Amino acid sequence: MDGLKAALVLFVASLFQLAVLTEYRPFRTSSIVLVALLSIALLRGSVFGAIAGFGTGLLLDTATLGTLGVTSLLLTVGGFWIGRYGETTARDRFHAPFVSVAVVTCLYAFGQLALFFVLGEPAPADIVVHALPLGLLLNLLLTVPVYALIRRLFPPLELGDRVREVRLLG
Amino acid sequence: MPRNRTVRFAVLGSSVQRAAASGYPSSRSSALKRRIIVGGLVLLSLVLITVSFRSSALDGAQGTAASILRPFEVAADRVSRPFRDAAGWAHGLVDAKSENKKLRVQVEALRRQLIEDESAVQENVQLKQALAYKGPPSLANFRRVHASVLTNPQSAIDESITIAAGTGDGVAAGNVVITPQGLVGTVDKAWSDVARVTLLTDGQSAVTARDLTNPAAVGIVKRGGGDVLVFDRVPKSPYVGVGDTVITAGSVGRGALPSMFPRGIQIGTVASQSNNDVNTFKTIQLKPFVDFATLQSVIVLVPRAGEAGG
Repeated sequence: MDGLKAALVLFVASLFQLAVLTEYRPFRTSSIVLVALLSIALLRGSVFGAIAGFGTGLLLDTATLGTLGVTSLLLTVGGFWIGRYGETTARDRFHAPFVSVAVVTCLYAFGQLALFFVLGEPAPADIVVHALPLGLLLNLLLTVPVYALIRRLFPPLELGDRVREVRLLG
Repeated sequence: MPRNRTVRFAVLGSSVQRAAASGYPSSRSSALKRRIIVGGLVLLSLVLITVSFRSSALDGAQGTAASILRPFEVAADRVSRPFRDAAGWAHGLVDAKSENKKLRVQVEALRRQLIEDESAVQENVQLKQALAYKGPPSLANFRRVHASVLTNPQSAIDESITIAAGTGDGVAAGNVVITPQGLVGTVDKAWSDVARVTLLTDGQSAVTARDLTNPAAVGIVKRGGGDVLVFDRVPKSPYVGVGDTVITAGSVGRGALPSMFPRGIQIGTVASQSNNDVNTFKTIQLKPFVDFATLQSVIVLVPRAGEAGG
């Protein structure tokens, strides 16, 4: 059931990103899809995040007729990593979604730049660096409503359901 | 007080029987399983990148999937359009009065210019007929395919759009894409119903252009960062003034490869120009006529059979 809900949420977010948000230049630096994916990964874990990231990336690459796999790779790694953060350190910390979005926004931008460079496509680092502060700010602003909505759709699991094994000191 | 710590493991909930939880599939799975799944997805992504980048084996599947997504994109666009129109209308009210006054003055100037231009065009047509002149390809040699824009650039470094026209409409890679305002770019890749267009603002795009006022000023227009274009390789001697219109030059000279751009498509106006002793060429910046950020629909120029070509 969670899988179906996640697919629907990410599909709608992708359409919104593709057809509406990117018509406004400032929103090309941000990504509601990334924020939605990270929110889901934070609440449902690493494997869920990785699979959702892969599917969303494939959808975006298909819709934009770009090189297949580029966005999938970045979102798979991002979803997995934030999922692990959610499973281990983050738990119910207030700042977790904001930290996740901030870190992955930066890594996503530079990861995309590196991939483009490796593939021999134009990779203007100056544009990425100039666009990053605005993208970061917009993504953090988007995190507030998007995380609140996704938290309603994917209620946090009980601690016992999430953590099966801990290491005790002392 | 010395701290004497040892490391040991504890399993939460081991003494209490829990109902099977529906959550965190990843925490239930072993670390090995998790690594296998993620490793597999990363590997699959790398395989997709390799196949997609090196061959056209996935093009058919990608084109079909893009065609399936097309109605959803159109629906999303239609749902959001009233809100965008309302926002645009509200924004337009702010400076409508001052803009109206400026436009009235501009209309008067353009009306006078139009009369002069029309008489020059008529004279041009008569002279061409009289001399049986064979000129380079012009816009008249191309069929126009109108298409809506499906997706805009998706990131700060992405300078491509997708359009709702493809090989089924005669569109092919290399076709020139324009709007009524001016040059947009070229078709990069075409599928049956959709095509990807590389914008003129992309780092790999460039077009031979000339100054409309001074045809001796010929150079190459390419990306200049942000919304600005650069009119490069223009020698220092011909005069280029701020406000001059720059258009595509078409095929210049007798090169083995003709230009894919027909002559006379508007590109932009000269925003600034300067000379310095170090550079061999002028430094000219252009303000494009086309707003690449808000493209809604475009026109693809498809060469008519047996006429202008790539």
